[in-house]
Amino acid sequence: MQVSFIARLLAPVLLIAAAPAALSQTYPAKPIRFIVGFPPGGTNDIVARVLAPKLGEYLGQQVVVENRGGANTAIASEMFVRLPPDGYTIMLNAPGHATNPALLKLNFDSIRDFAFITLAAESQNLLVVHPSFPPRTVKELIALSKRRPGDINYGSSGIGTTVHLSAELFQFMTGTKWVHIAYKGGGPGLIALLSGEVSLYFGNVPTVIRQARDGKLRAVATTGAKRTPAAPDIPTVAEAGVPGYEVSTFYGVSAPAKTPRPIIDRLHAEIVRALNAPDTRDRLQGLGADPVGNTPEQYTAFMQNEIAKWGKVIKAAGIRGE
Amino acid sequence: MDLLSNLALGFGVAFSLENLLYCFAGVALGTLVGVLPGVGPLVTIAMLFPITFHLPAVPAIIMLAGIFYGAQYGGSTTSILVNLPGETASAVTCIDGYQMARQGRAGPALATAALASFFAGCVGTLLIALAGPTLGEWALKFGAAEYTAIMLMALVASAVMTQGDAVKGFAMVVLGLLIGVVGVDVNSGMARYSFGIPELVDGIGFTVVAVGLFAVAEIVLNLESRQAREVYTGPVTGLMPTVRDLKDAAWPTVRGTAVGAFFGVLPGAGPALSSFATYMLEKKIARDPSRFGKGAIEGVAAPEAANNAAAQTAFIPMLTLGIPATATMALMLGALTLQGVATGPQVMHEKPDLFWGLIASMWIGNFLLVILNLPLVGLWVKLLTVPYRWLFPSIILFCCIGNFSVSNNPFDLYLCALIGVLGYVLVKLECEPAPLLLGYVLGPLLEENLRRALLIARGDPTVFFTRPISAAFMIATVVILVVMVAPAARGMRRGT
Amino acid sequence: MKPDLRNNRDLIAGLLFVVLGGLAIILARDYPLGTTMRMGPGYFPTVLGGILLLFGAYVLARGIRSGEKVKGEWGWRPLAWITLSIVLFGYLLDRAGLVPATVVTLFVAAAAGREFRFKEVLVLAIVMTAFSVAVFSWGLKLPYPLIGGYY
Repeated sequence: MQVSFIARLLAPVLLIAAAPAALSQTYPAKPIRFIVGFPPGGTNDIVARVLAPKLGEYLGQQVVVENRGGANTAIASEMFVRLPPDGYTIMLNAPGHATNPALLKLNFDSIRDFAFITLAAESQNLLVVHPSFPPRTVKELIALSKRRPGDINYGSSGIGTTVHLSAELFQFMTGTKWVHIAYKGGGPGLIALLSGEVSLYFGNVPTVIRQARDGKLRAVATTGAKRTPAAPDIPTVAEAGVPGYEVSTFYGVSAPAKTPRPIIDRLHAEIVRALNAPDTRDRLQGLGADPVGNTPEQYTAFMQNEIAKWGKVIKAAGIRGE
Repeated sequence: MDLLSNLALGFGVAFSLENLLYCFAGVALGTLVGVLPGVGPLVTIAMLFPITFHLPAVPAIIMLAGIFYGAQYGGSTTSILVNLPGETASAVTCIDGYQMARQGRAGPALATAALASFFAGCVGTLLIALAGPTLGEWALKFGAAEYTAIMLMALVASAVMTQGDAVKGFAMVVLGLLIGVVGVDVNSGMARYSFGIPELVDGIGFTVVAVGLFAVAEIVLNLESRQAREVYTGPVTGLMPTVRDLKDAAWPTVRGTAVGAFFGVLPGAGPALSSFATYMLEKKIARDPSRFGKGAIEGVAAPEAANNAAAQTAFIPMLTLGIPATATMALMLGALTLQGVATGPQVMHEKPDLFWGLIASMWIGNFLLVILNLPLVGLWVKLLTVPYRWLFPSIILFCCIGNFSVSNNPFDLYLCALIGVLGYVLVKLECEPAPLLLGYVLGPLLEENLRRALLIARGDPTVFFTRPISAAFMIATVVILVVMVAPAARGMRRGT
Repeated sequence: MKPDLRNNRDLIAGLLFVVLGGLAIILARDYPLGTTMRMGPGYFPTVLGGILLLFGAYVLARGIRSGEKVKGEWGWRPLAWITLSIVLFGYLLDRAGLVPATVVTLFVAAAAGREFRFKEVLVLAIVMTAFSVAVFSWGLKLPYPLIGGYY
C-alpha cells in the first residue's frame, strides 16, 4: 500500500519535471502548419511564403503554408483557435484580426484565444491622388475637402481593408467627408485611380510607389508613424498636418492560446532570426514590409490597442458588417 | 523595324535550353492542373512560389505564365469528356462539347478545342506584342458605367443561351444572379444571404456551383433509371476533325478570338464572360441555331478560342500598367517583385529581355501545348470506353479533392452536395444549367458596377448615355432587345 | 379537362421558383433598400426575388394547364448515395486523412451505381487512392494528412 501511494504521489511530479526537457529536445518533431487567413495571391499570403522556408530552415522542420481564406481571417481564426496548442500550428495575423471584432459576430475571443508571438513585419499605405486633382499636400487636401464636403470620391480595395480604414481615420480625425467608392481588391481600386474614376486612394506602398515615381499618380503622404524607408522623401500624414494619425498594416505571428511558453520563446527566437537573414529581409522590403520582430508582450499590447482604435473608427463611420 | 528587333531579342531569350525547359514544365503542369476540377493555376502557382526564389526572373515568369494559359487548354478536356468544367471559362464548352462526346465525337471536339485555342493564343500574344501598352491605356477608359452597359447587354442577350423553354431559361438566369448575390456586398460591406455562416460571407465558389450543377446532376441523371443508360452512344468515328468540321469551326474561332481578346484586356471581366459572350454571338448569327446544344462544333471552337485569347490578353494590365487584375496575376506580380523586377509601365523599356522573352515564350508555349494535347486526344477517347461504373466514382472523387483544394474547407463540400441535389432537380425539370451559370458570373459584376456608376454620378441615370463607350453598348443592348422581341411581336400581330 | 397535378414537370419547377424567389425576398427584408438611384444592399436581391417569383408563378400556371409530366424516373437512390459520398469526403479528410476519405468516398459513390461488385470496387479504390496520393500529395504538394487527421 505504502509503495503504491508514494509511487502515485511521485509519478506526476516526475512527469512534470521531465516534460520541459522532453519538449525542448524533440520540438519540432514534425512539420509545422502556417495558417494564412486569405486565399493565395495577396500580400499577406506572399509574406507568409517568404518567411516559411527560412523559418523551416532554422527550425529544422518544414513549415507549410496553408490557406484558409474567408471573412478577412475570421474563418481561419475560427478553425485555428480550436487546434491543439502543441506548437505545430501558427497563424499569420493581419489587420483584419483587429477590425473583425467590430464588424462581425465572432465565436472566438480575438485576444484571449491567441498566444501572440511577434509582430513580424509591418507596412504602410501611401496616399496618392490623380494628377488632375489639385491638392499637393495634406493641408491643401483638408482645406479643399472642407470646401467641398461629400463631393470628392476616394477609392478602396474593399470595405474594412486598411485602404478603406486609412481614409476613414483621416476623415474622422480631420472632420472631413468624402464619398467612398469600394472596389474588389487592390488591382481594380488602383485602376480606378489611374483612370480618374476616383480622385484619391490610400494604396499599399509597393503597389503604388512605381506609379507615383513614374508620374502617373501624385504621392502626398504616408500613413505610418515614421517615414517609410521605401520613400524617405515623402512626409507622413502625422507630420504633414494630422498629428497622431497612424495606420499600419501588420503581419504578425501567433499560436493558439495555452501553447507552452518554451515553445513560444523558441518560435519567437527563430522568427526573429529569420527576419534578420539578409535575403528574407530584402524580399520583405521588396514587398514593402519592414521587418520588426518585437516581443510577445509588445505584440499583445499592440493588438489590444489596434482593436480598440478600430472599434472607435468603425463605429463612428457607421460601417456594418452583418 | 523596332518590333522585329524586339522579337529577335525575345526569341533569342526564349530559345535558350533553360527557358524552353521551364516553358514546357509550366505548360505541362498547367494542362494537368486545368484538367483537374477545382485545382487551378492559382493554387499551383502558390505552391511553386518558393521555387521561384531560386530561379532567375526570366525562367520563373515563363514557367508561371505557362501554367496560367496552359490551364485553359486542359480545362476543356473534362468539359467535353464528362460535362465537368475544369476552369470557369470552360463551362460553356460543356454545352456542346459533352454532347459531341456522347455522339462518339469526343476526338474531333478535343482536337478542335486545342486548335482553336492555339489560334487564339497566337493572336493574343501578337496583340500584346504589337499593341500592349495601347490596349492597356485604352482599357482604362472603361469605368463603372461602361461595365454596367456591357453586363446589361450580356444579360439581355442571355435569352439566346437557352435551348428549350425561354421562360424557364430566364428564370435560371435570375436564380444564378441570386446565387451570385450571396456574400459581402462590395458597396456597403454588408454580408447578404450568409445566414451567419462565415464561409458564406465570401460567397459561393464557382467550383462548388459548377460541380454540383453540372457533374453531380449529370451523373445522377445517368444512373437514375433501372435499365442501363448508354452514356456514350455514338460509335467513335474518328479522332481528328473532318474537313467539314474545320470549315465550320474556322470563322467561329476568329470571332471567338476577337471577343476573348476584348474581354481579356478589361480587368475584371475575364475569360468566363468572354466564352459566354461568344457562344451567345455564335448561336445568334448561326444559320441553324437549333444545332447548338446538340453537339455543334461551333459551340466548342468559339468559346475555347475566346477563353484562350482572354488568358493571353489578361497579361496586358499586369505587364503594361503593373496592376494585377486577378489574384493569379497578383501572385505572379509578387514573384516578379521578389526577384527585384519592379513592374510598371517602364518594364518594357527597363527589362526588354524579360518582356520580349516572355512574349516569345508565350508563342512557343502555345505551340508546345498543341503538340502536347493533340496526341493525348487518343488517350482521352480511350478513357471514355472505361465502364461507367468505374468512371463515375472517380469523377466524384476528383470533384471532391478539387473542391477541397480551393479553400481547404469541408464546408464547401457540404454546400456542393446541397447544390448537387438542387442541380439534379432543376435539370430533371428541364431547366438548363448553363443560363444559371451565366447569371452567377454576371450578377455580381452587374450590380457592383451599376451601383458604383450611380454613386459616382450622384444618382444621375443619364450618365450611361452621356459617356460615349457606355452609350454605344447601351444602344447595342436596345438593338438586341428589339431584334429578339420583334419576331414575337410580329407573330402576335399576325395571329390576331 | 381535369388538370393532372402529379409529377407535373412545370408545376414542380414553377413551385420551386416561387419558393426560392419568395425566400430571397423574405431573407432580404432586413437589408436597407435605398432608392432606385441610390440602391442599398437590399434592392437588387429583392427585385431579383420578385422577378423569380413572377416567372415561377407563370411556369406553375402553365404547368397546370399543359399537364406535361417529368420524363423518366426520379433517381433518389443514386442521388442520396452520391451526395453522401461528397459529404463524407469533406467530413473525413481533415479528421481521418486523405487515404481513408478517398476510399470511403469511392465505395459510397459506387453504391449509387446499378451494380456493385465488391472486388471491383476494392481494386478501383486502391488504384484511385494511389493515383490521388501520387498526383495531389506528392506531385502538387497539397498539404493533406494522408492517414490520421488534425483533430
